Amino acid sequence: MHYQLLPLLSILILMFHAFTLPLYKRKKMVYRNNLIVAAMVFIMSAVSLYFVAQNGSYVFDIGHYYQPIGIAFRIGSIEALIAVLFSFVYGSIIWHSTTNLAHEISESKISTYYTLSTLLLASLLGIVYTYDIFTGFVFLEVNTLASCGLIAIKDTKESIKATLKYMILSSLSSGLVLLGIAFLYAITGHLSIPFIHEQLVIQASSHQNLVLISIILFTFGVAIKAALFPLHVWLPDAYTSAPTTTSAILSSIVNKAPIFFLIKIFYMVYGFKIIQASHILPVLLTMGAIAMIMGSLFARTQKELKRMIAYSSVAQMGYIFLGIGLGNALGLTMAIYQIFAHSLTKSTLFLTVGAIIEKTGFKTIEDIKGIGKKMPITLAIFTLCGLSMVGIPVLPGFINKWNLAIASIQMGKLGLLIIILASSLLNATYYFPIIINGYFGESKLDATVFDTKSKNVRELAPLFVLAFAIFIVGLFSGTLIELIQKDFFTLK
Amino acid sequence: MNLLIDNYLYVGAIILFGIGFMILLLSNNLIKKNIGLNIMDTSIFLLFLATGYIRGKAAPIIIGGVMDPRGYVNPVPAGLMLTGIVVAVSTTAFMLALTIKLYEKYGTIEIDEIQKLRGE
Repeated sequence: MHYQLLPLLSILILMFHAFTLPLYKRKKMVYRNNLIVAAMVFIMSAVSLYFVAQNGSYVFDIGHYYQPIGIAFRIGSIEALIAVLFSFVYGSIIWHSTTNLAHEISESKISTYYTLSTLLLASLLGIVYTYDIFTGFVFLEVNTLASCGLIAIKDTKESIKATLKYMILSSLSSGLVLLGIAFLYAITGHLSIPFIHEQLVIQASSHQNLVLISIILFTFGVAIKAALFPLHVWLPDAYTSAPTTTSAILSSIVNKAPIFFLIKIFYMVYGFKIIQASHILPVLLTMGAIAMIMGSLFARTQKELKRMIAYSSVAQMGYIFLGIGLGNALGLTMAIYQIFAHSLTKSTLFLTVGAIIEKTGFKTIEDIKGIGKKMPITLAIFTLCGLSMVGIPVLPGFINKWNLAIASIQMGKLGLLIIILASSLLNATYYFPIIINGYFGESKLDATVFDTKSKNVRELAPLFVLAFAIFIVGLFSGTLIELIQKDFFTLK
Repeated sequence: MNLLIDNYLYVGAIILFGIGFMILLLSNNLIKKNIGLNIMDTSIFLLFLATGYIRGKAAPIIIGGVMDPRGYVNPVPAGLMLTGIVVAVSTTAFMLALTIKLYEKYGTIEIDEIQKLRGE
């Protein structure tokens, strides 16, 4: 069995499927085939993970042209794991969208919407698998255009404006990444990652400034796309004005892929020594720490529920950058673990909040007091995610914070403990009021009439699956961390 | 000074990048922003192509038998930049489409005026 083919095949199926979607006449076919393809990609990623975990990482040359001439994928246990995560989260969100997407965008645009979202998943998997930085850049651009389309499709004043903001900053970021690639190409004459690395090890000392400039360009290019704190300005508008499905996709998987690309660039292209010598890691550490605090502070002041969760995303991205910035094995592992934790919790949060907004018609935190009496299960799932964000044991948020604290002690940076603790407490100050007021607060909702008391089981099933996955990621964190550490740290 | 003159392609590319960058970030008009984005992208293409270009060498197109490989320039940057140009064109087209949409919704394409409208 040629399991090596699976990653390429999953991307090809997605790309092919994306362009057949507008051809279907019946909406039912669109929904059904889309789900089948999402499930297929998930199963393929899972099978690929199984074989990679057994046989170790491999490089797959596309089209029988070997590197450095051809392009290649590299699939190790981390790449396979992240592909499973992305296809799983995407599949659950798409499953959920079959029941609520039609309320938010016009009927005629649904197949276009799925075309874009399918392309988006293909580009994300491409970024994860790629072993060639230029291919990575092209996939990043596909990713930008597709996600902009997914926001703009709602066609309201706010969403168009948010899309333009996102588009301008994303174009800037991809410009910076391309410039970084240009400098690397000028130094090394290669685009495929192992060959650049080989040349950089020899030549870095004679081109120190160029290497440093390219590192800075990559870092800030990616930081814009990943919404690191001072560069996050596009994020709240984009998440708030987009349809719920888009918010969930964007917050969970779209801003994770560029970060993984950055980790790849840091540790596969440059290697630990050059990164260490460039002093970029303390910069990322500081910015990550600031993001953790400021994101939460901004989130506290928001009145709109969706906007609050968007700002909470800024804080959570800070954890990932903090993990990368720590510069030791445990920190980096936790950065990747946080990709898992945050993707699952944030997509679930956006879906639950979307469900609440859809049922009640209220958008602000003030208005949804007492929602727990009307929609107890939805709020229970929200509570689970909130608890994970705050860091209650067993849930992934706790494992992430705990290990980040251990990693900072290992590095002798005890001040970070205060920041992690403060950020945790700040998270509690804006998640707990919603939960407490939701269950015990005086309800303003009595006057409003609901079509049904709660969402029915068919609509809630994807949320249950996601909530279950949050538990799994928390409970089996040991296995997950072992898998993450398995091949990444033999690379250096 | 001589260093700058010898590497005039790189110097030009960086100056253009700066101009494009500033227009993209500071200009209020969305069409101007779009132009800035294009200048920025083009400057990167110039920089990339400059790395593959050697004065006096031929393009790697075979006419009447293969020359000595040292007679050709590196074709890879040109190939990559074709991809880059395609990407830039699609981004520009999409941004212009969005600008039209924005004009339909707000009646202006000046960012500061839109911010004012929002404040009212």
